[in-house]
Amino acid sequence: MSKEAKVLLAPLDPVHDIGLKIIKRSLDEAGYLTILLPPDYSSEEILKKALEEKVSAILVSRTLGYGVAELLARFVDMAEAVGIRENVKLAIGGMSIRPELAQELGYDAGFGPGTKPEEVIAFLENRKYEPEIRGAGKIKRDITKGFDYAYGNKNIGKMLDHIVTSIVGWGQNKTTPGIKRAEVRKRLLELPQGKDRTQLLLEYLRWCDDKVKDFYLEKTVLPKTRLLSSEELRKLERYVEETNKRMTLQVIQHTREKPVVFIQYGTGCPFMDIAHIKAGEAWGADGVVHFDPSWGARTEGFLEGYITHEEDGSIITPENLMSIKGSLSPHTIWQVRAHRGLNTPETVLLAGAMGADMTKINIAYGSLGGGTDPARLTVDAMQAIRYAAEYRLSFDVVTNEELCGVPAYKAFAGMLITAHLGLRLGGRPILQPLFCYSPEVMVSGDMDDNYVDFNAAKIMALRNIIRAPIWPGAPIGFLTQTEDRVQSSLSTALHGALAASLGVEAISIASSDEAYSGGPIAVPSRIDTLKALQEAFRFFGMSSIAPTEKAGVWAERLEKGIEEVLETVAERGDFVAALYEGLLGSVAEGAYPGRSGRGTVMML
Amino acid sequence: MGEWFESVLDAVDIETFFACKDEKEGRVLAMQLMKGFGLKDADIVFIEHEGPGARVRARGYIHRAGDRYGWLEGGTDDE
Repeated sequence: MSKEAKVLLAPLDPVHDIGLKIIKRSLDEAGYLTILLPPDYSSEEILKKALEEKVSAILVSRTLGYGVAELLARFVDMAEAVGIRENVKLAIGGMSIRPELAQELGYDAGFGPGTKPEEVIAFLENRKYEPEIRGAGKIKRDITKGFDYAYGNKNIGKMLDHIVTSIVGWGQNKTTPGIKRAEVRKRLLELPQGKDRTQLLLEYLRWCDDKVKDFYLEKTVLPKTRLLSSEELRKLERYVEETNKRMTLQVIQHTREKPVVFIQYGTGCPFMDIAHIKAGEAWGADGVVHFDPSWGARTEGFLEGYITHEEDGSIITPENLMSIKGSLSPHTIWQVRAHRGLNTPETVLLAGAMGADMTKINIAYGSLGGGTDPARLTVDAMQAIRYAAEYRLSFDVVTNEELCGVPAYKAFAGMLITAHLGLRLGGRPILQPLFCYSPEVMVSGDMDDNYVDFNAAKIMALRNIIRAPIWPGAPIGFLTQTEDRVQSSLSTALHGALAASLGVEAISIASSDEAYSGGPIAVPSRIDTLKALQEAFRFFGMSSIAPTEKAGVWAERLEKGIEEVLETVAERGDFVAALYEGLLGSVAEGAYPGRSGRGTVMML
Repeated sequence: MGEWFESVLDAVDIETFFACKDEKEGRVLAMQLMKGFGLKDADIVFIEHEGPGARVRARGYIHRAGDRYGWLEGGTDDE
């Protein structure tokens, strides 16, 4: 059908013609000659007009209801009776219209809700509609790009410089089993294919716990784990290949480019993780975060092989990471966490070697809320940051100690110390304040009225201190969400909208069953929150959420609190001692210096 | 269990509203419903009762982490 041909748009409906108006606009823009009839024309009147105007196509719109199917079918019969059915294309559109129904009623095409004007144009031009693959142009964004990490609060910058100098001095002649293992692992990774790795492996095992040694030497499988078979691996490969072929990627963001949206995975099984990741990617997740099991953080040494685990947290092995990496869409940002535990340097090393984009490191959280000895984690984290710099992994500095009860200003002081240490060692840190209903605000009542002000205050305070990327998490809205699917999806969406309004770089989101503790997260629940967030971004667009004046007051209070804590830590002159002594979160506040790995720091 | 369950990636959620007198009754009904559908590894994710009845989200896991997944078995290696 040529564009000079006329298209008649007829709302065979007493009221509704919005859909046709939208289609008309697009057809006009595409160069078609269109005639839009007003609503409430009868079938006879529409056909009379079609004959008079010698149209080439009639697009009828109608919402289905009682007796409407008969009306629509009669329209086709009448078109036939007046002799235009052969030469005029007939299509029907509206709510509840499906292509099969249209065909049944005698139309050439049927367009339901969500129809894109391009689909109608393709129909008019006898072309197959090829939907634009949204996300085909999706790019993997570096969320640290463009930040110079300049301090707006010079005093804080100066104190951090002082504290970090003392940390680097303290750590320079120390090592740990974690660092030793990472060094051996690096050599193992660099070993040419086919070379004997026995000696290196024995050296690696020297620094491992007995259960890890037993795994390698006695082939003892850890409880609730099993090795995945080669047949399962082949099937996984095929599953990923087939799924990738069918993938079109949704984009969650609307008119704002930020924030980048991360989901977290760690079902226990790399295969199930991959299935969750593919669903997340398809529904618009920009990045994925790997969660390992909690026992992994308390065990000296990593296992090897393709291993599945029946409980939460997916085991870090080179092979598991490799299979996950192999499944990712090219645009997906991949983060492997290393913020706590005894394998921190090796985690970052493996993440880098396996092609991850980001990692997660925080000494204060890992040693006050994550269970690792402060001295051990300080030494390990320094090496981990060096690996992150070497492999060009940016890393976020999470402040989950807030969930233990540590006030935000103390958690932020710890975060800023690790971030500054990261900068000193050549890394690219990202600040990760919590967007949550933490114990601190439950007690203070600062969120009694709304969830906006305190979260906004955090961002305002951090922005005032340093020009650094900010990635609230993790996940946003934590402790506001319940097992109620609607409530939790909405809460995530609103927190996401606030994050977008504040212009932060990224967010991590929960699933709509995150608060349910009786079993693993299910894929539909992941999609719930991605959809809810997409809708929130569509709703708010470039408009903003306005915090009340309290946000400004609390931002000042936070900044002052951070400054005071840093002053105390700087005066103490010993960061590790400050952690043990509770300057960055005390036992009374719910922070307990971890014991895992205590006494394992060695002098070089 | 029907073979269609094998294509379920992880779990089946059933959301409904039971006309019942209290949450306890709603829970019993939900679990009976799940059993009736052949969902053995079942639990209630969420339940909220008000006067007219209970809003329920019940879940039956088909595949948990570490299982052999039916959706991965979609054909043999010879295909």
